Amino acid sequence: MIDLAQPIINGLLLGGLYAVIALGLSTIFGIVRVVNLAHGDMVILGSYLSLAFCMWLGLNPLWTILLVAPIMFCVGFLIQSVLFNRVLGKGMEPPLLMAFGISIIVQNFLLLVFTSDARALKSDLSMMTISLGEINISLLYLLNFLIGLAVILGLRQFFRKTFLGRAIRAASDDVVAAKLVGANTSSIYAYAMGIAALTAAVAGVLVGMTFIFYPHTGPQYLIIAFGVVIIGGLGSIKGTLVGGFILAMAQLLGAHFFGPGYQLLCGYMVLLIVLAIRPNGIFGKA
Amino acid sequence: MGVLTAALGTVPLWGSDYLVLFFFLFCLYLTVAQMWNLLAGYSGLISLGQQVFLGIGGYSVAVMGNYYGLNVLLSILAGGFFSVLLALFMSLFIFRMKGVYFSIGTWIFAEILMIWFSNWSFVKYGTGLFIKTNPPLSTNETFYIAFVLGVGSVALVYFIMRSRLGLGLMAMRDNEDVSETMGVQVFRYKLYCFLIAAFITGMAAGVFYIFQVFVQPYKAFSIDWTVKLVFIVIIGGIGTIEGPIVGALILVFLSQVLADYFSVSLLILGAIAIAVILLAPKGIMGTLQAKLGFEILSPRRK
Repeated sequence: MIDLAQPIINGLLLGGLYAVIALGLSTIFGIVRVVNLAHGDMVILGSYLSLAFCMWLGLNPLWTILLVAPIMFCVGFLIQSVLFNRVLGKGMEPPLLMAFGISIIVQNFLLLVFTSDARALKSDLSMMTISLGEINISLLYLLNFLIGLAVILGLRQFFRKTFLGRAIRAASDDVVAAKLVGANTSSIYAYAMGIAALTAAVAGVLVGMTFIFYPHTGPQYLIIAFGVVIIGGLGSIKGTLVGGFILAMAQLLGAHFFGPGYQLLCGYMVLLIVLAIRPNGIFGKA
Repeated sequence: MGVLTAALGTVPLWGSDYLVLFFFLFCLYLTVAQMWNLLAGYSGLISLGQQVFLGIGGYSVAVMGNYYGLNVLLSILAGGFFSVLLALFMSLFIFRMKGVYFSIGTWIFAEILMIWFSNWSFVKYGTGLFIKTNPPLSTNETFYIAFVLGVGSVALVYFIMRSRLGLGLMAMRDNEDVSETMGVQVFRYKLYCFLIAAFITGMAAGVFYIFQVFVQPYKAFSIDWTVKLVFIVIIGGIGTIEGPIVGALILVFLSQVLADYFSVSLLILGAIAIAVILLAPKGIMGTLQAKLGFEILSPRRK
């Protein structure tokens, strides 16, 4: 049993990180009804921004969150107001393809600026572990989990308590009614995308501290985000957290039983099975 | 139209080696993009996983040629055949999904196959396989095969759209629920299109990888393939037969002109695509048709 405890604990902690990665994708789908295929690239853009600040200012990667998050908020706000808002209500294809275009532009922009070398956000944390008997808990994973949880709970409170949060929820529940009572849905959508990009920035810094990344790593995290969101159900914050745990657990247990080469494969398998049985996710609204 | 096709078919007789290469790539991209157009533009199936069939086609040619010494034309055909088998298996899962879920489902399948092939000793893991064909083909011979596929794919979509299947597809695209009530067998028609696209894509992939001489999982099953197809069809005009022709010309031209600046060419492609979606959502050919009221290859009945 003891050798199973390690992948389960790691899966739980990694699940928290996966949930933050997926949070923005889920939020935007729930509110704007757009699947932002560029979400993974926004996460990696966050990692590279953090890298730039680390190199430029010599900061600890963790502190760069405070700089990267507001910048990404503006990026998200602009992308929504300049690009996505113009193709809303024209069917499913235009926003999907627009996101695809943004994704390619971000990837190749990063490739031009940072070359195709592998990068990592180095910090002292990556080597530290806490030992509990025979189980080792990586301090970095624990930190990912805690920050992830904080972001998710913070976003939940934001949607419940603040005026903007309630306006966003109103627009998500019933666009026509929200417009009728005077809400400007275009600007609400722009704020929502800004917030989604902000969570992507936090995820990007954490991902960059935990794994190596390349300009083309974005789609990999998009698929993880999509996996989380599909398992949990698009547009549900609670579902995102549960989805993160299930996907991470499936991957790490898969790696434990079949070898590291099959880690991603097991995650995808679980995903396909969930999709085939419950096409709208476990907590999904139809 | 006929003159242009004849000119294209005789490029090896009058053109330089560079032109042969250019139009070889054009024919293959046209073939694969036309199949994506059949799915996305006419059947409402936005597949982001066409690279599955490109990978399978490439590996079929490699495995059949290297391991079993099968004739090259039969190997290419085998690529199409295996693609159809895989498409049938995939349809068990993904045809339960709608809209965006379908798109992502196909993509996940491609990722699964990429991991599968990079962990499979039979195909030499991630290192990939060199392709030896039996008999070896000259550049001109590969060109002619690509030409047949290119012209064939355009003709195929044209005849499908003139057929009963096409009529049903167009009804479905306009309103799925109503057409189903009117007796269009939505599920079956979509499946037919998916299988046809898989077959042709698999064969085109075989020809492409014979030209490349080398097939490797991270490239063959990469989403980059679908990115290119999407751009060809969007820029040219989704749901028009001429669109992919124009789009493929633009893509091959851009990638040749900017061959030394690979990332710049994709950056420009992305920007063009976004501009097209914003300014002319029907693409170049779609907008021209709407403005001029004229279609070269019209599937409409007069």
